[in-house]
Amino acid sequence: MAGKAASVPSTYSPSPTQKKKPTIFKDVDWVRPDGRGFHQCRPAFLRTSAVNAASGSAYVEFGNTKVIVSVFGPRESKKAMLYSDVGRLNCNVSYTTFATPIRGQGSDHKEFSSMLHKALEGAIILETFPKTTVDVFALVLECGGSDLPVVISCASLALADAGIMMYDLVTAVSVSCLGKNLVIDPISEEESFQDGSLMITCLPSRNEVTQLTLTGEWSTPKIHEAMELCLDACSKLGEIMRSCLKEAVSISKE
Amino acid sequence: MGSSGASGNLEGEMEVDAFRRLFPLRFHERHLLESIRPDARPLERARESTVALGAVASADGSAMAKIGHTTMLAAIKMEVMTPSSESPDEGCVAIDFHMPPICSPFVRPGRPAEVAPVIAKQLSDAITSSGMINLKELSLTTGKAAWMAYLDVYCLDADGALFDAALLSAVAAFSHLQIPAVSINEDGRVVTMSREDGDGKLANDPVIKERRKLTLNCILFSLTCILHKKYILADPTAEEESVMETHVTVVLDSSSRLVSLYKPGGPVLAYASAVQDCIALTRHRVKELQKILNEAISDMEVD
Repeated sequence: MAGKAASVPSTYSPSPTQKKKPTIFKDVDWVRPDGRGFHQCRPAFLRTSAVNAASGSAYVEFGNTKVIVSVFGPRESKKAMLYSDVGRLNCNVSYTTFATPIRGQGSDHKEFSSMLHKALEGAIILETFPKTTVDVFALVLECGGSDLPVVISCASLALADAGIMMYDLVTAVSVSCLGKNLVIDPISEEESFQDGSLMITCLPSRNEVTQLTLTGEWSTPKIHEAMELCLDACSKLGEIMRSCLKEAVSISKE
Repeated sequence: MGSSGASGNLEGEMEVDAFRRLFPLRFHERHLLESIRPDARPLERARESTVALGAVASADGSAMAKIGHTTMLAAIKMEVMTPSSESPDEGCVAIDFHMPPICSPFVRPGRPAEVAPVIAKQLSDAITSSGMINLKELSLTTGKAAWMAYLDVYCLDADGALFDAALLSAVAAFSHLQIPAVSINEDGRVVTMSREDGDGKLANDPVIKERRKLTLNCILFSLTCILHKKYILADPTAEEESVMETHVTVVLDSSSRLVSLYKPGGPVLAYASAVQDCIALTRHRVKELQKILNEAISDMEVD
């Protein structure tokens, strides 16, 4: 064991000399680190067909959060799978080693994989591809906060690009509760100081919620306020995603 | 022989796409006879390539390289280590290559691609053996602390010539790398200097190394070719690689010296002249890639 430890030197990433002044989030009138309004989302960039090898794919950037999702299939299910009348959905989310400020292992994110699966399965018309599997694979290139909602929205864009039948696009937005304030689309720094968070995944044109997660300390009126905020942002995001898809189609027709 | 005879009869009436899928080898050979490839390239031409530096904000150096559809994202993160007793004044470079399931329909989660570790080893061999990086430059204090540069290359889209794109992105990431300025605190640990706290803090924590760029002794470029019968196809796509299985990869440095040459078996046994042709094609390709990389670097400096 000692020999092994010598050949693989342990490393650490150097920390900053002085701790950054913790931003005072609890004040009534603080400013968000990136200067946004409380109810303002980060500038987003969306593009479909980012990966040529996949049946459909999308690249989405929300501020520093950058995600690629590829969709493969419908293709043959694993041999061990039993016969199924409806299609199967298989989701996987992983991170690059350089996604986080401290170098990570780049391993699969099991929790996000299952959350992504649950967020999408209600929106996909699984009956349209019996006996087969659709694979949705996400890679987080850089995490800058609100990773899961960005992954989910990006995945639904990729599914649409792959021509998988869905009842509607799936959009996701999260809100953090910091003291008295609700901030939408939080960055990593805000997430690390939050008292609670709420994420809604919905089908914007049908006004249906596929997933809602709530963590931390909340009061009932705050929950209502946060849900209103999220649903409003989701429907706006839905429009942006729709126009992104339309644009891609009109370009390919030319 | 039965299949080729059948295809002869069917050729006239079959659609091009069906023919391409059913008789891929004949499809490609028909193109080769006309000295053209399915994507309208001449045999010796590489695909259009681009390099963009600084693609990952959370890394110390990063680059995205595209050769045709093949896309690679490379990023370097600098960490501190204790140098080994044999080389107390040298840092270290750790290179890894990943093929996440997003890049190709043949990679599934939990079942990594077989080629990934092969390419990781080739990358690491080429970069360390060429002396591109002077490991002494990564030293901080002799025997106590040195930099460990973690280079991770991710394949985002796999469409052939993976090694060439991976090497291009790795080299570009090294030329973008900014080594942070650091000092040593009371506990003997290395800490980064942020730019703001320059004035009063300098007295107790002397800066041991300023923020700087790495000097690259030479720059490596490579070209993969396919050998098939008497033909040489430069920069193959994934489809070409799957149909014609003899590959030759040549790595040259910027002054056209041979760094490495791989010809991992394959059904075609190459004559020395074929290998020399591959090297000549690579020499031409190095000039193209050098220009692309220089443009990317000067674009970065303008911003």
